[in-house]
Amino acid sequence: MRTVFVRLLTIIPLVLLVVSGTFFLSLASNVDPAEIILGGNATQEQIDQLRHEKGLDQPALERYGEWLGGVVRGDLGTSIYTGASVTDLFMAALPVTLSLTVGGLLVGVLLGVGLGLLASVVAGSRLDRGVILLSTVGQAAPSFFIGMLIIYFLALKMAWFPATGYVRPSASFGGWLHSLILPSLALGVGVAAALARQARSSMIIALQQDYTRTALSKGHSRRRVVFKHAARNAASPVVTSVSFQVAHLLGGAIVIERLFALPGLGSLTIDAVLRYDPNVIQAVVLFAVVVVVLVNLLVDVSYTWLNPKVRAA
Amino acid sequence: MSETISGTAQSPAGRGRRPGSGRLVGRVLRQRALVAWGAIVGVIVLAVTFAALLSPYDPNTGTLADSFAPPSWEHWLGADRNGRDVLTRLLYGGQVALLAAVEAVGIAMAVGVPAGLVIGYVGGWLDRILMRLVDGVMSVPFLVLAIAVIAAVGRGLPNAMAVVGLVYAMSVLRLVRGEVLAAREELYVDGLRVSGAGARRILFRHILANIAPPIIVQATLMFATAIIAEATLSYLGLGVTQPTASWGSMLAEAQATIRQNFFLAVPPGMAIFITVLGINQIGEGMRDLFSREITVGRLGLNVVRRAEPERAVSEPVPSALPERPVALEVRNLSVSFPQHGHGRVEVVRGVDLRLHRGELLCLVGESGSGKSVTAMSMLGLVAHPGLVTASSIRLADQEISGLDFAAMRAIRGNRIGVVFQDPLGSLNPTFTVGNQVCEAIREHRDVSRRQARALAIDLFDRVGIPNPAQRFHDYPFQFSGGMAQRVMIAMALSCDPEVLVADEPTTALDVTVQKQILRLLSDLRDERGLAILLITHDLGVVAEVADTVATMYAGQLVEYGPVAEVFAQPRHPYTQGLLDSVPRNEASNGPLASIRGVVPAPVDWPIGCHFADRCDFVEEPCRHSPVPLTGLGESGRAARCVRAGELRLHGISRDRLDTHAGVPSAAGSGTTP
Ligand code: SF4
Repeated sequence: MRTVFVRLLTIIPLVLLVVSGTFFLSLASNVDPAEIILGGNATQEQIDQLRHEKGLDQPALERYGEWLGGVVRGDLGTSIYTGASVTDLFMAALPVTLSLTVGGLLVGVLLGVGLGLLASVVAGSRLDRGVILLSTVGQAAPSFFIGMLIIYFLALKMAWFPATGYVRPSASFGGWLHSLILPSLALGVGVAAALARQARSSMIIALQQDYTRTALSKGHSRRRVVFKHAARNAASPVVTSVSFQVAHLLGGAIVIERLFALPGLGSLTIDAVLRYDPNVIQAVVLFAVVVVVLVNLLVDVSYTWLNPKVRAA
Repeated sequence: MSETISGTAQSPAGRGRRPGSGRLVGRVLRQRALVAWGAIVGVIVLAVTFAALLSPYDPNTGTLADSFAPPSWEHWLGADRNGRDVLTRLLYGGQVALLAAVEAVGIAMAVGVPAGLVIGYVGGWLDRILMRLVDGVMSVPFLVLAIAVIAAVGRGLPNAMAVVGLVYAMSVLRLVRGEVLAAREELYVDGLRVSGAGARRILFRHILANIAPPIIVQATLMFATAIIAEATLSYLGLGVTQPTASWGSMLAEAQATIRQNFFLAVPPGMAIFITVLGINQIGEGMRDLFSREITVGRLGLNVVRRAEPERAVSEPVPSALPERPVALEVRNLSVSFPQHGHGRVEVVRGVDLRLHRGELLCLVGESGSGKSVTAMSMLGLVAHPGLVTASSIRLADQEISGLDFAAMRAIRGNRIGVVFQDPLGSLNPTFTVGNQVCEAIREHRDVSRRQARALAIDLFDRVGIPNPAQRFHDYPFQFSGGMAQRVMIAMALSCDPEVLVADEPTTALDVTVQKQILRLLSDLRDERGLAILLITHDLGVVAEVADTVATMYAGQLVEYGPVAEVFAQPRHPYTQGLLDSVPRNEASNGPLASIRGVVPAPVDWPIGCHFADRCDFVEEPCRHSPVPLTGLGESGRAARCVRAGELRLHGISRDRLDTHAGVPSAAGSGTTP
């Protein structure tokens, strides 16, 4: 518990570094939000006026301090473009993205680890080669192309699922699940492909270790040898790989939200980039970094559970 | 990516040793898949490069009359909503993709390689700070990072791909830095202290030779992901601007009209897929070329098949302990493995063994003699491609050859216990030792958790583990080698087996502990009437505990008999050679000082006596035909030697063995002259 706390403290500088980087990057930019908001025919006076209203004429450090102070209090500033509170925008979009990434993660982990495990016990067989082939294909196809195929076949041809759109769980829980299945699938396939490989190779290594032979020599069933003895040892690298995939999922969610017209953080971000809304972008970067860092922390904690040696140290 | 395993496939021993260029070309050609994918990618690159020559159309203008035209002679892949030729747009889109990937990978190399070299070379605080920074950048999902930068510096593919390139540079930097650190270590070990310009040049040449293969592989795989990155950015509207064609923007356009015309999504989607797949395959093919093949073995399960009686089964050798009941009898056991270019190669050939209740039989021989494989094969523990056959394996009165996996489960761990050489590696590191022993008990006995625990603690006590109730909850890494081996013995004995197979159980331990473990084994033999098959290469061990000894050489049993008689007067020159090598450093598995040469590889075994090339007494008849294991008429002795009857071998004197086995400080420390 103490180590977790210490780790939490050490990630603060990292998060600070990245968000500050993004903040100053947007300051260094030669794009002036005021000009964009007012359009091409605005006079210099109008622009200056707006800059003053939005506080864009303040010195950089002052704006930075103000922004950072707000972030600490949970206030992410306002959208320059609409004047809406970024925190509100963010909180409205967050559940969508969270549902989607968790869905994608589930698909990726269940499908990927399942197939990888299966392939490892029959390594070298035709089934194993099939899994390798699937994983190779899954890694080469971009998620939005897979998504379009899924939409075309499962939503348009078969009409089993809605092609686009999001249903709030408060409105209809079943509808929410239904609306998430295809996007999660599209998002999860690439993750599954990567995890299947990792799970397969770590399991193959674990199955060749002496303790596996010992377990067999005790007369255990194959199932026990594979799922208890080998899998527990093969888990650490797979968990590491899952944590890499989380970053991948966050990026992928942007694309999949666009494809399935889901009103999540990805759509928010793309809109923000297209019309230049720095506070929104900073909020999303902040979110992404925090998630990734927290996932890494979680993974480290899981090591101590998976590996008693780490626990004792 | 998730290449943790294959990325480290290059063994440390293979470092810096590159295949000669001639052989490399040969290996490339042998990898047909690599060549085929190379050709496919080559065609794509050429077609894309010469798009203007191949297509009569302009990629960005079309005639509205052709809107959504299906594939035809004029438009091979049809036309899009604006009547633009899809194939033309595909080719020009490919230019965008390839250029973008070249840009990203170029930046990654230009930044990552020098930065990695410098950081790895300078080391110290610079290394620590910069690697933190690298971790920071790598913790942001690259798409999010790219979006943040695009938001700041403005849209446009070159900007976006520059960001992608910088993110890739981080992983190149890591790779190079790692190699530099490894190379410095290696050169340091080689005694080449790095100082002065000359040495630095050596260092960098060495490093470049080492990093070239992984860097080339990495760059190739990056190139593929960069193509996906370009498509993604353009798909989101953050890459190329209208009306420029890119595979990503074509997919975005196709998506807008997916209800009217799905086909438009197929060409750009497949273009990305095939290009990326092809480049990935090339990358992985090259990785396989540079690294050594990893052998893939399946779960070690190989039931013993009943041998066809094609090979004449020799007369059973008379028993050395005829008054005792037989615990285990093996007849004509053979093990073979497939070997490239040789079909199936036998590594164990026609072994006969007999083990009585309360007998400790030592199976001795150099490494490569097949003694371990013999023991494991009886239990069905030979790894996947191995094939085990036997005319018969009888456990007391039950025939166990021919049993399937499920039936063997009732034998393994229950009627035959096994103890392995490396106790710490043989215990599962992720479970407590108590868990593992109880698991064995509950596998074969219908007892409660609590009863199993009590039994396990009793066993721990019996095998000499202090504080058994406490140690029950400890993990293997909390045990010393000797204590861990006691745990293994407790586990092997947990179901009160009739036979215990111990495969070099003391080799990994130091001498004092070794003696304690051996004493424990011989006590257990006496106490429980246990039949023990002890595999060892150490004749000191044999002298200490064995009742009978069997010598193996090159897959065959060459001598068998009561230990005192065999040691006093061996009947096979190989046994004599082994005796002459005493005392021997326990840890050493190297060539014997007393016999020239090494055990030949199974493919090279001669028709006649397998030992002929190393034997001082070899004569013409030795090489003629297979030599049978023949009973020598005396009390249960046998030898596989044409000249067994005439040779007078001197054996070993008792005191030489005693010096070895009796005084711990005299041997095994490695300092004995
Ligand atoms: S058969 Fe001949 S070569 Fe073989 S051990 Fe006997 S004497 Fe030596």
